[in-house]
Amino acid sequence: MVSQAERYKSGVMPYAQMGYWDADYEPKDTDVIAVFRISPQEGVDPIEAAAAVAGESSTATWTVVWTDRLTACEAYRAKAYRVDPVPGAPGQYFSYIAYDIDLFEEGSIANLTASIIGNVFGFKPLKALRLEDMRIPVAYLKTFQGPPTGIVAERERLDKFGRPLLGATTKPKLGLSSKNYGRVVYEALRGGLDFVKDDENINSQPFMHWRDRFLYCMEAVNKAAAATGEVKGHYLNVTAATMEDMYERADFAKQLGSCIVMIDLVIGYTAIQSMAKWARRNDMILHLHRAGHGTYTRQKTHGVSFRVIAKWMRMAGVDHIHAGTVVGKLEGDPNVIRGIYSICRDSLTRQNLEQGVFFDQDWAGLRKLMPVASGGIHAGQMHQLITYLGEDVVLQFGGGTIGHPHGIQAGATANRVALEVMIKARNEGRDIWHEGPQILDQAAKWCSPLRAALDTWKDVAFNYQSTDTADFVPTATTA
Amino acid sequence: MPRRRPKGPGTSSDAVTHSAANANDIAERLDAARIDLSELLADSHVNEVLDELDGELIGLKPVKARIRDIAALLLVERARKQVGLIGGSPSLHMSFTGNSGTGKTTVALRMAQILHRLGYVRKGHLIAVTRDDLVGQYIGHTAPKTKEILKKAMGGVLFIDEAYYLYRPENERDYGKEAIEILLQVMENQRDDLVVILAGYSDRMDTFFRSNPGLSSRIAHHLDFPDYLPQELEEIAQRMLQGMQYRLSVSGAAALHDYIPLRVQQPHFANARSIRNALDRARLRQANRLFAQMGRQLTRDELMTIEGEDLRASRVFA
Amino acid sequence: MRITQGTFSFLPDLTNAEIRAQVDYALAQGWAIGVEYTDDPHPRNCYWEMWGNPMFDLRDGAGAMAEVLACRRVHPQTYIRVNAFDSTRGFETTRLSFIVNRPSSEPGFLLKRHEVGGRQIQYTIESYAAQAPEGSRYE
Repeated sequence: MVSQAERYKSGVMPYAQMGYWDADYEPKDTDVIAVFRISPQEGVDPIEAAAAVAGESSTATWTVVWTDRLTACEAYRAKAYRVDPVPGAPGQYFSYIAYDIDLFEEGSIANLTASIIGNVFGFKPLKALRLEDMRIPVAYLKTFQGPPTGIVAERERLDKFGRPLLGATTKPKLGLSSKNYGRVVYEALRGGLDFVKDDENINSQPFMHWRDRFLYCMEAVNKAAAATGEVKGHYLNVTAATMEDMYERADFAKQLGSCIVMIDLVIGYTAIQSMAKWARRNDMILHLHRAGHGTYTRQKTHGVSFRVIAKWMRMAGVDHIHAGTVVGKLEGDPNVIRGIYSICRDSLTRQNLEQGVFFDQDWAGLRKLMPVASGGIHAGQMHQLITYLGEDVVLQFGGGTIGHPHGIQAGATANRVALEVMIKARNEGRDIWHEGPQILDQAAKWCSPLRAALDTWKDVAFNYQSTDTADFVPTATTA
Repeated sequence: MPRRRPKGPGTSSDAVTHSAANANDIAERLDAARIDLSELLADSHVNEVLDELDGELIGLKPVKARIRDIAALLLVERARKQVGLIGGSPSLHMSFTGNSGTGKTTVALRMAQILHRLGYVRKGHLIAVTRDDLVGQYIGHTAPKTKEILKKAMGGVLFIDEAYYLYRPENERDYGKEAIEILLQVMENQRDDLVVILAGYSDRMDTFFRSNPGLSSRIAHHLDFPDYLPQELEEIAQRMLQGMQYRLSVSGAAALHDYIPLRVQQPHFANARSIRNALDRARLRQANRLFAQMGRQLTRDELMTIEGEDLRASRVFA
Repeated sequence: MRITQGTFSFLPDLTNAEIRAQVDYALAQGWAIGVEYTDDPHPRNCYWEMWGNPMFDLRDGAGAMAEVLACRRVHPQTYIRVNAFDSTRGFETTRLSFIVNRPSSEPGFLLKRHEVGGRQIQYTIESYAAQAPEGSRYE
């Protein structure tokens, strides 16, 4: 940075000289750190671009202002302190920027995001900009409620341990009447699933009003619980046009005795935090559907990586979040998905560049967020799902349950048997990655719904090139 | 013999001839089998443990010989099993008798490892207990206490030191008998799950076994741990000093040589432990000697060396 | 009916060897083993009677299996389950829980519907078995 006198003379000055670039800066434990993937326009220096991002996401504007002198501007300036070229992608740079903790309001995702991404993404000198990862200091995390229930308490409430949970979304997505809708829920739960789910766009439409849906779904849930002796649930979608409407719907869900409700990402960060608080006060598990995220998470060069969204959601406080399946119909590179899952589930997430995780993140005791794998998966992939995704996950087989040739109950049973037999084999020490198909075939001998499921979907795979992959690959070491 | 008749056409006599042919095949194969004991031995890595034992403990020749005997027996048992010869699961429970400080616990640990490498215990850990860990203070307390220890020891070896304290006939409200009964049951019926080693002074163990013939009949191997000879004790002392990075001067070595036979005759001699204590006292005297010479610059060598006077100050020389 | 609580309820009843394999897996993870039994399998009844305290520091499953078999001998007509407890930070909860014994007949549950205002119903689940006093629920 230039001298004080120079710094505050009127006029335009490069951001790097205004103090937004400091190669010697050591981030404090209490700093919020962000890493951006910057694609500067031709002729723009990467360090200046990084400094500009730091500036425009903290205190700067495009020209020097005297009013800066009324503040402790040194402290409030964000500092870009490191710029690395992205391996294998010329013209792109990872830049690390540190923000003082006082820049942010306690416990507010709305404020955190307005600060970090509110202003800078349309900046002309950048061709493209992507927020890749953030390190949130423990001091700031402690101001957030975090997930109202968390994985441990959810399992204890359901009394279900040792295996992934099973769910399904009612299909068709739209059009069923409430009574018919409840029928689908009953059949799926009776057949062996733990949960059924409203789809993200089922709110309250002419073909089905929300109150009727809630009433029929709870009849289905309770009937299935009595028939099986298990705790069952249906994610009642309380998304609505206003917070008042949402509270009304959530309160009704509680009154009817549901153990879980769901919301969509599109309600916005403020609404999500309000619902998190409500859920904690009302002993309700809170499921989040990540509706709309694909518009900004999918392209490598521009947007916000889903791992950052997952971090914000764990802080804001949801208990379930859709986080990718790897082998299903929706985007998901195995390494990137692993990184996202570790952000959801770990007490201490470790840096892992191959998985796109840039920072160690101490979660300061925030409860763990259960990832949900949903979208084009079926029983025949059970060994792959368990290997990629582990045990603390909700596996949702919508089409894979309701589309079963022998009916919905059979579909649910096929999924449940496939899951239990695979977990049992894994615990016994078998190599489920390689022996998975045989294990399923053996179980299919005594479980005809599973046989039918395997036969119907055995050739289904979604093999497309991932658009969002990590940039760091392990280099071969000489043996 | 097949457990079920094969389904489909075929008379019962067909099934019988079919199974007889099968048994013949197996017998022929077993007869033709050749066992390479050295290969079995190498695979089990037992020699590594035996070598470690040799290196770790000085003397104890009869004990080490006996252990090699047992290892050989178990190895041959395994070989016999491979060619289909049954021998029944051998009893592996043992008693170790001898004075304090003769290496009983160390050998028990190595024995657990040997048994594990030969496949006779599943996990190979050692749980060392005394009477107080097994016996309760009031009615109903003993059984759960003993059972808890037994469960933790399963898959490994249970080493009961001063085992005779389990039996206190003079005290009618003593609950040790209960513990003994539970032990007897497990030693008989769960030989595949647990090996028990009872240890203590020879004469007291003799009395104990005479009053509990059930226990004594279940012990397959009695190992006696003789006291160390004076030369062996000297060697042990040298090793200990090396380990602590001390050395003896010429006068120190002579003093040690004189000290040992005198100490052996004193009461409460605990072999290696007594040597250890003597060396610790010598270190104390060395430290005081050096302290008294405050003001001088000390060399590394002087800090390391134990002189004769550090040992000769002992009571045994009085 | 057949209640489907526990991790492996949709599979055929586990043999003793299969139970032992799961116990060994839990011990390999460093978890403690607990055995519990009940004659009231209501889904919200999470406190079954403990068959002894949970067993810590086991290196081998033989001791735990002995307890399972002993519980079966003493309470043959109850539900018995094996739990595995994980004490690591971030978990501190049950990690595995599966049924190892069932009464020979399982009568199931009654769903009671209590109509309140509007179209609302308040639901209660009652075990048929629990209508008899403890000790004589499964004859």
